[in-house]
Amino acid sequence: MFASTVQLLPLAIVAGLLALLAISGLRSRGRQATEYGFAGGYVGRVGIGAAIASNWMSAASFLGLAGMFYLKGYFAMAFVVGWTGGYVLLLVLMATQIRRFGKYTAPDFVAFRYESEAARTVAAVIAILITVIYSVAQFRGIALLVSWLFGIAYIPAVIIGAALVVGFVIVSGTLGVARNQKLQYFTLIIAFILPLMLLTRKLGYFWLLPQIGYGSAITDLQQQFGFAWAQPFAGDSLFAWMAVCFSLMFGTAGLPHVLSRFYMVPGIRDARWGLVWGLFFIALIYWSAPAYGVLARLFEARAGIPFDLANPAMADMAVLSAAQHGGLPMWVTGLLAAGGISAAFYTVASLLLTGAASFSYDLYPRLIRPNATETDKVYAAKGFFPLLALVSLALALQPTTMMIAEIAALAFALAGNTIFPAFLLGIWWGRANAAGVISGMLAGVLITALPLLLGNSVPLLAKLLPVTSSAFLGAPLVVAIMITVSLLTAPPSIEIRTFLSRNVHECQED
Amino acid sequence: MPKSEPVDVNFFKPRGGSMKREIRLIVLVLAGWLLAVAGSQGFVYLLASTRLGAFLSAYTFFNLPMPFWLTGHFLPFWFIILCVLFNVWMDRHARQNLDGSLRFRARNDPGRET
Repeated sequence: MFASTVQLLPLAIVAGLLALLAISGLRSRGRQATEYGFAGGYVGRVGIGAAIASNWMSAASFLGLAGMFYLKGYFAMAFVVGWTGGYVLLLVLMATQIRRFGKYTAPDFVAFRYESEAARTVAAVIAILITVIYSVAQFRGIALLVSWLFGIAYIPAVIIGAALVVGFVIVSGTLGVARNQKLQYFTLIIAFILPLMLLTRKLGYFWLLPQIGYGSAITDLQQQFGFAWAQPFAGDSLFAWMAVCFSLMFGTAGLPHVLSRFYMVPGIRDARWGLVWGLFFIALIYWSAPAYGVLARLFEARAGIPFDLANPAMADMAVLSAAQHGGLPMWVTGLLAAGGISAAFYTVASLLLTGAASFSYDLYPRLIRPNATETDKVYAAKGFFPLLALVSLALALQPTTMMIAEIAALAFALAGNTIFPAFLLGIWWGRANAAGVISGMLAGVLITALPLLLGNSVPLLAKLLPVTSSAFLGAPLVVAIMITVSLLTAPPSIEIRTFLSRNVHECQED
Repeated sequence: MPKSEPVDVNFFKPRGGSMKREIRLIVLVLAGWLLAVAGSQGFVYLLASTRLGAFLSAYTFFNLPMPFWLTGHFLPFWFIILCVLFNVWMDRHARQNLDGSLRFRARNDPGRET
């Protein structure tokens, strides 16, 4: 699968797509405030939806999900349901209320609602940790694609990929490139679905809607090769499935860069309907991703390529593997690679910038330099950005058996165990206080880290709190801790409780 | 004027008609969300080792094995439906609240002719 020569045509397509998005961003930077971003004015509900979806689509969606299907079959459905179902939680419990707080970042929200700078610091550190873990998943995706494009091994590919991302962000920042998210989403969706249509057409399946056409491949795999991996719960328990699914849902409603979509949205109604469009656009990808995993398995089975369960990198390349073994023209494979690279590039750029902003705004002036001016904060962000990239790069270089989607799931578990309970109780329970949220978030970090640190040395713990899905039991546990500690300590001030009841919920006595 | 104790927000003890209606809707949506996820997977799991389960796995719906379609296609679609229903209700609720507040202001405006 991995070529040992430079793939010139795909490389040109990757460069062309990134240049197209950058030029479009340059042209639209003047209009950004009014047309494209939440930072500005009204963008239209479809535009808001496309922005949500393009912000969401990363290497985990573009490459990782297909890889999960390739390796784990039906079990990977937990990712589809988790990553879409989380938006229901986000809509009904948070989207409307968050905006009424008038804050711009997750640590800002936590500091205001819980009236605590210590809580802000804990939230900022957690936001940076989430950024790093999520970036590692993106770096792995970028490295696999760079490795294929240049025909080089994984380790130099990680370094080259990281250098390209940092260079891309610096050049974009210097030129003032705005992110044209509408164009980006529609380019990515075409890059993802067009090759799938060509593949299913080639196989003689129903190609107009490859999202259902690939069903014939499942039947063929079962009948011709006896593959039963598509059978529900063939290899994993119901608990493991539910743990992944709900952990991802809680994490979706707790990821700082997802929540930030709703802080500055121009209108609550537009935010709500934009979220529905966003969910539809995201579902389009997730209805399609399983097809790549299934088709890759079919092509490899037909070519007599042995299935290697212990090779997560091979699984993560299922999307490209399907395109190559399916005999698609090189420009189509290049289009797929370009889509994957651009999804990962923009996600990692946005994550690292958010992490750097969290450091410069929430930590630097409070812990390191109390008298920092705005210029100092900008320099702190610029200095912290490459440092974050270096840390993520160092972690991405470590050998791991985890797949891209699983590393991303770890970031979701951390968000689900910490930020999600802090926001949930912060919005819906006036009695939640600073002591409660600090102990809850610290307990959440511990719950996420324990399975990583202990491994399988405590079998019961490893079973109840899986590394990638600890938020299933962890989030309710953190909520319980927050409630207990809050009740045992002094209530929040009258001002914040009044703000919550009058400004956020408009509740009045009957 | 002494500061009065504020009305504490509590999801399980909503105050005021508006919040009560909103929470009733949230509970309904969340029940639909939870039942669909847990119910569908519980159903598929319980049937997995039975003859009916084998039949369902072999039976294709929209070209996909039934559990694949139910989980991978129907559930995300169901989430979209839930979100649309929630938004439609919230829009109506917001309109009614606005109408109510306008009528209230009109009735209390001493300079307005009635």
